[in-house]
Amino acid sequence: MAQPVVRMRDIVTRFGDKVVHDGISLDVERGEVLAVVGGSGSGKSTLMREMIMLLSPTAGKVEVLGHDVAGISELEALPLRRRIGVMFQHGALFGGQTVLENVGVPLREHTELHDDIVDELAQVKLTLAGLEPRTGALWPNQLSGGMRKRAALARALALDPELLFLDEPSSGLDPLSADALDELILQLRELLGLTVVMITHDMDSLWRAADRVVLLGEGRILGTGSMEELARSNDPDVKRFFSGPRARGAQTGGG
Amino acid sequence: MASDPASVSSNGQDIVCQGDWTALQLDRAARDLRYLRPLPGDVEIDLSGVSRIDSTGAWLIYRAAHKWSKLGAKTRYIGLDDKTRELFELIAGQGIEPGDAPHPPAPGFLENLGRDSAEAARNYMAFLGFIGNATFSSLRILLTPARLRWSQVVVESEEAGFDALPIVGMLAFLMGIVIAYQGAVVLQQYGAGIFIADLVGLAMLRELSPLVTAIIVAGRTGSAYTAQIGTMKVTEEVDALRTMGIAPIELLVLPKIFALVIAMPLLTVFADLMGLLGGMIMANNLLDVSFQNFIDRLASEVTIADYLVGIGKAPVFALIIAAVGCYQGFKVSGSAESVGKHTTISVVESIFLVIVVDAIFSIVFSRMGI
Repeated sequence: MAQPVVRMRDIVTRFGDKVVHDGISLDVERGEVLAVVGGSGSGKSTLMREMIMLLSPTAGKVEVLGHDVAGISELEALPLRRRIGVMFQHGALFGGQTVLENVGVPLREHTELHDDIVDELAQVKLTLAGLEPRTGALWPNQLSGGMRKRAALARALALDPELLFLDEPSSGLDPLSADALDELILQLRELLGLTVVMITHDMDSLWRAADRVVLLGEGRILGTGSMEELARSNDPDVKRFFSGPRARGAQTGGG
Repeated sequence: MASDPASVSSNGQDIVCQGDWTALQLDRAARDLRYLRPLPGDVEIDLSGVSRIDSTGAWLIYRAAHKWSKLGAKTRYIGLDDKTRELFELIAGQGIEPGDAPHPPAPGFLENLGRDSAEAARNYMAFLGFIGNATFSSLRILLTPARLRWSQVVVESEEAGFDALPIVGMLAFLMGIVIAYQGAVVLQQYGAGIFIADLVGLAMLRELSPLVTAIIVAGRTGSAYTAQIGTMKVTEEVDALRTMGIAPIELLVLPKIFALVIAMPLLTVFADLMGLLGGMIMANNLLDVSFQNFIDRLASEVTIADYLVGIGKAPVFALIIAAVGCYQGFKVSGSAESVGKHTTISVVESIFLVIVVDAIFSIVFSRMGI
């Protein structure tokens, strides 16, 4: 088997006295859609920030795309960052640029492609993400929450990254759009060989899109496996998380 | 699995693509593709030498083929596997025409002029409205003073006043030195060294102390007001206050205005003292006017009216700075960029207004003979 895309070993993260992660080890395999779930404050977003080199864990080893990222310089991180796409929870679109320019930022920055081509590619990514091409002429503050999310996804896809991180991709989307987004993620994975790490609370997405689910809680991994495995699990922590009425509804509806 | 960057070649008719057609490897191939012009007729695009391809690479080939078929070529892809074919279909299926990108309309000169004028007019009306609103709220709160958030007034006046003492004192001190320096050269020629006390005293107390204080406060506190309220608007905190039945103007604006109206005259008094101190030291150094002589002269020539004129301007300047700062904060919409823009406007506009009002004061006072 090929080496994992992200490899985390014995991650400990502390903010002051608060222990967020207490020895987490996790591999993300190439080509899989991995979902990280857990209650609020269970350190999902922090774990993601450590994978995308925005934050260093207090202790432990993180390898991204085969490189140890402990104490990595910005210059060394750059080639890695180009191979990673990140969609932030609230979009993080740049307010001073139109949507089209936002999506084109990575292409303009990292390639020498002509402006026309960058604009066209940005439109392709926008439509891929489910937006009308003419949305490109709007400013980010003219977009609704769901549109902003899609535009952010388009920007994350701009360089056709090998590794895509999605922070709450379907929160704030209507059910139809959320389904379409799940479909899109699976399709892109199929065609481009994407590896996807997503943080989500959406049980439908978990059933539909995730190959493997990691449940975080109390600073460690409470359970990992496919949704079917976790749903059948007898571990009390896992049971409690996945046996609420919402989770069961999603299972009967989606699975 | 390092492979060669993307390349494209042609035998004059058929096109051969080779190498790694992923986004970061495309620069040369993109340039070469622009200059390839196959003749009308059948054109085969051979992709069998492509080691990797992503949607950026696929789009480059697709748009070139699209362009060529408009020129009469019949393009056909050969040597691609199922996944690549699907990728091409996915991209072609998005219905994007090469060469027309949606950009926001760029208005012409006249339209801009019209828009800007209308915007400016609306802006001044809105500012008047804001002042009216704030005045009305102030009057209402003065009838029931318990409703004013006094603890916040204290905190704000500490931040705007006490914390600004070092910088205001320092600058006023330097202003005193500068004036004394400039005056000393001329006064010395006439042997009228003692007049240095009149010069420094009148200039600092009447004009420069309030002005320097106002400029520092506008830069330090006015900008902070705009940024704070502006950020709260972006994060919808202002809306949250409204929905809880708390008038933003009462919570955010009035304490700031009251705090600044209290703090600025006090800061000005401090600036007066430091300015005089600076002048006094320079007078002693350059003109041998002793501290005692300087103070005696000051007491006999500079009246209490001069002092009060200066202090009296301070609350007016404070009102201007606080009102402009808060108003610009509420004008922020949407983005971080907007916060920056309005913070700049806030500082520039409040300093501008302070100087205009200062000029008006000067005229009025001289007419009144004060």
